[in-house]
Formats: sequence, C-alpha cells, structure tokens
Amino acid sequence: MAGFSIKSVYAMAKKEFMDNIRNKWFILLTILFVLLIFAFSYLAGGQTGGDNVLGDMQTTVFGLLDISSLLIPLIAIILGFSTISGEDESGALNVVLSYPIRRIEVLLGKLFGLGSVIILSILLGFGIGGIVIAATVGTEDFAGYFYFILLSIFLAFIYLSLAICISAYCKRRITSIGGGIIVFFWGMIYGTVILGILLGTGYSFSDFQSGNLPDWFFNSVVFSPGDMYQTAVQRAFGVDTIEVTGFSVTIPEFLSMPLLLLTHFIWFIVPLILAYVFFKRRDL
Amino acid sequence: MITKKIACPSCKHKFNIQVNPGEKVTVSCPQCHTQGIFRFPDMTKTIDTSSYSLQISNLSKTYKDVRAVNNLSLQVRKGEIFGLLGPNGAGKTTTIKAILGLIRRDDGTITINGFDSIKDDIEARKKVGYLPERVSFYENLTPIQTLNFFCELRGVDKSIVEPLISEVGLEEAKHRKVGTFSKGMVQLLGVAQVQLGNPSIYILDEPMGGLDARWVKTIREKIRMLNKRGATVILSSHILSEVEQVCDRVAIIKKGSVIAQDTVANLNNYLHIKPRLEILIQGLQGRIPKILQQMEGITALDVQEDRLFVTCDSSLKSDVITALKEAGFKVIDIKITEPSLEDAFIKLIEGGA
Repeated sequence: MAGFSIKSVYAMAKKEFMDNIRNKWFILLTILFVLLIFAFSYLAGGQTGGDNVLGDMQTTVFGLLDISSLLIPLIAIILGFSTISGEDESGALNVVLSYPIRRIEVLLGKLFGLGSVIILSILLGFGIGGIVIAATVGTEDFAGYFYFILLSIFLAFIYLSLAICISAYCKRRITSIGGGIIVFFWGMIYGTVILGILLGTGYSFSDFQSGNLPDWFFNSVVFSPGDMYQTAVQRAFGVDTIEVTGFSVTIPEFLSMPLLLLTHFIWFIVPLILAYVFFKRRDL
Repeated sequence: MITKKIACPSCKHKFNIQVNPGEKVTVSCPQCHTQGIFRFPDMTKTIDTSSYSLQISNLSKTYKDVRAVNNLSLQVRKGEIFGLLGPNGAGKTTTIKAILGLIRRDDGTITINGFDSIKDDIEARKKVGYLPERVSFYENLTPIQTLNFFCELRGVDKSIVEPLISEVGLEEAKHRKVGTFSKGMVQLLGVAQVQLGNPSIYILDEPMGGLDARWVKTIREKIRMLNKRGATVILSSHILSEVEQVCDRVAIIKKGSVIAQDTVANLNNYLHIKPRLEILIQGLQGRIPKILQQMEGITALDVQEDRLFVTCDSSLKSDVITALKEAGFKVIDIKITEPSLEDAFIKLIEGGA
C-alpha cells in the first residue's frame, strides 16, 4: 500500500499494549488462566498414576483444552469488543484520526497491540506451566506442547479479529457487548446444535457413541473455531482417535493439519477484512 | 512554547532551550556554565489575505434523512482566528469532522494548506491540531504516555511533552492514570495535546467547555499566543463574548449553510445593528427632547425619568450630544453600548438578515 507507515502501526500497537496490559479484567483472567493450568496439570498427575504430582504434557493439554478454548476467546473478546465502537463513543478515536495516520494503520496497530497482550497472557499461563511440567515430569511431547501454544495464539487472533470486526460494525459500545456475547456463546453451543442436527437427521445416540458418523458431522468442525482448535491440538500431539469413557471417535484423515491451519487462517482473515471495510466506511 | 537551538558565545557549544515568544530567560551553558540572558522576539501577528489555510467548497453531508451540512462554503485566511458560530445542530461539528476526514462527505471539496483532504489526507493532516468538544484519552495511560503516543503519531520530538504538561498545570498529576482525572483536567491535557508538533492550523471545538474562569482566561491567551506565532486558529464556541474577544472573522452557520461570513464590525454594519446611547440628563423627567425627534439617522428613542436612550448611526453619536447641549440640556453622564456579536448572531439566526 502506497505510503503505508510501519511506524504508525507500531506506535498504535504500543499504545494498545500499554493501555490494555493494565485492564483489570485481563489481569484477573490471566491469573485465573495460570491457576487453572496448575490445577489441570495436578489433576492430570493423578490420572497418570505415576509418582509425579504433575501430569505429563499431553495429558495436561487434553485436560486443559476445554478450558483454554473457553478462556482464550473470552480474553480476546473482552480486549477487542469495544476497541473501535467504545473509543468512537468516548471521542478518543476522533483525536487519533485527526493525526496523520490511516485507518488501516490504526486497525493493524490495534490487532498487533491487543494480540501482544494475549500472547503475553498465553505465554505466562502455558509457558510457566510447560516449564514446571518439563522440569518435574520430563520433556516428552514437548513439540506437541509447543504447537499447542502456537495454536492457542492462533485461536486468540481469530477471536480478536472477530471482536474487532464486531467493534468496527457496531455504532455503540452496548451493541458491541451483544455481538461479543453472541460470538462467545456460538463456540459454546455449537456442539449441542450439531448433535441436535445429527439426531434430527436419523442418527441415534448409539451411532454417536460408536463413532458411526456422517462426513458432514466432522466437516462441520470448521464452523466452530474452538472445535477446530481442539482438533488441531489433538493432531499436533499425533492423536487420531479420541477415547473418552464409552466414546471412541476417530478423526477422519481429511481433517489434516494443513486443512485445519488453512481454515484457522480463513477464520482470522475474513473478519479482519470485514473490520477494515466497516471501519473505512465508518463516520465518527 | 518554541524550541530554539542556541550557541554559547564563550565555548560555542550548541544546545536547545524552550521559550515563549517575547519571553526573557536566563540561560546557563551546560558545558562551560556561562550565564546569559536570551530574549526570543515577540512575533507580530500577520494575516495573509491572499492565501488560505482552509478552503471549503459546496460541502454537503446527510445522515440518513437529516441534511447536516448543506452546500457549505467558507475560506479561512492564513494567520487569522476564525470563529465558527451557530445554534446547536447547525452543522459546526459535522463541518469540523469533514475537514479532518472523520466523516465521509457526500459532496464538495476541502483543501487544507493546499492539500486535498481526501487525495492527500495524510499531508493535509500533518500540520493540523484538533481539540474536540468532548475530548477523551486512554484511561490506563499517564499524561506523559498519552502525549508521547501522539508525538509518535506526528513524528515529532518528545522533549516537548513535560514542558507542555507543566504549562497546562498538570505537573503534579503527570504520573497519574488519565482515568482518574476530572473533566477539566482531561480538557487541559487536550490543550497540551493540540500543541504537539507546532501545527500551523488549530481546530478547536468548544475549547473552553468544562473549564473554570482561570483556565478560560489562560486558554484565551494561549489562542492569541499561538496565533501571534503565525498559526491559523479555527474556533467553534457557543460563548459569543469569547469569540468576539479573540476572532478576526466569523462564519455563522444555520441549518448546515453559512449565512454570513465577515468581521464582527462588518456583520453589524451589514445587518444595520447600531450603537445605543444611554444619556443621563438633569431634570429630563420623562420628556423626549424635540431636537432629537427631528434628527435624521436616529432609529429609536426611549426615556426613563432622567435617562434617555438613543439608537443611532455610529457617526451621529457626537452630534446627538452636541444637539442636546445646544438645546440647553445638562448632560451628566453618557454610556455607549456598541453592537455585539450576540446582536448580529441573534438577528441572523432569527432570520433578520
């Protein structure tokens, strides 16, 4: 882009980082995050039945997946849902945009600045947890754990992109809150919706338990970033079959890591492009 | 405040000092500690009547079905203080937002310092300082962090930040989060913000709003000082007396269009608003002197006991007093009320033009 200024993006990102790193909700959720890692790791230690109090990396991560696919989107949404609508309402954005900065630079600065805040939170939580587990239990599955951290960051950026998109679209902060809640709960209820469709299309609960499922059931994972993330993490640890008490589901081959990463990218880039279109057209 | 590089006359060491125009400061050389007095010359205000800082032609903006700005055109000369006046909802803020590119206009062109505000938007905004009516900053940042951020956006030296914070009286709060500031303190931080990088055009939307009398006076002086340094100031305010005190020219906006654009004096002439004399005459006792009833150029006569009220052409003021004296009336006191911006504003807004 002609005249695009990296300096302006950096200045904006630095400001977002400094402002949001002191956000009380972010601090609370990060503390909760770190505590949960240790709690799950401790529980995983009990499951493995070994001498170690903390569980190995894979067991800990699989125990953590549900909570991380809930908490990471929550942190991203809290940081991003009002970054444009809220600042428009308060008037802060008027001052920023009266300076020689383009809207795309503001948007990218916000993405990278808020993204850095979440990366810090993830590294604090999973990083410290990983180091403690590696030191006490060992470094087995360390590569998988590393991918797990990268995928968690990717998930955070997807939800950040969605939150910024909502913020750029909504005129007011209060409507952005509504949008954020819808996006967050979509991830939570998606599994139930798909199960309902499965049962409503002639399949039974025993089909579900035995893993006798149609292709679309697996394909539909791409419509839920949280489920997609969980599948990608399982793939990263080389796990093909998920076995929980009474259930045994094999992840089909077509849900390969490249496909999952591509879908992650689409989930990230499409809302970001929409956010730019909405922001560019926005009257402040 | 201006940053000036000077050379020590003893050791020739060069260093920066910060000084206001006309101010005399004692300077000590950081290298050889030689002391000397430096006086920065007071700048003389000049208005360049041949070139414009801002030109707006046929600007229009509609929000859904409301025409906020309707075919608005105005020109602001280089080096003048220009007042933007109008009742609530007249389109002042929409016009300002269009100048800054904060809203998309439906029609029209805007040129800032010769740059088109859409095609050359970044160049156009490089030398513009903006203080909005409802100023807000980032709650978790301190004033220093806030101003440093804006310095980075403008690409200017951050050494001016602390002197500016002191200048607006926020020295003691410079390490506090802006989120803990009162409305007035945020406004003062806004005043500091608008000066970063010494813009050549200042756009101030209700700059005195939310400030106490002491700070209103300080800001009024600040506007004059910035203007003396050569900056063009565009001031929107509903406090007409403030505008009258500082502005060289004004534009009055009504229903999204400029209905008048001139100096306050010219507006009053154009609107035929005349001065009013209040003359205290011994023993008048409610009578209107016949000599004045026959005089041409007097538009109104009124009397209350010994007080006579005469509205007349400006050139007739002394003739009225002379005529009264020649007719034997004993004039004890005279008070002249010159037509104000408020008079012109009300006449225009009420459709008296």
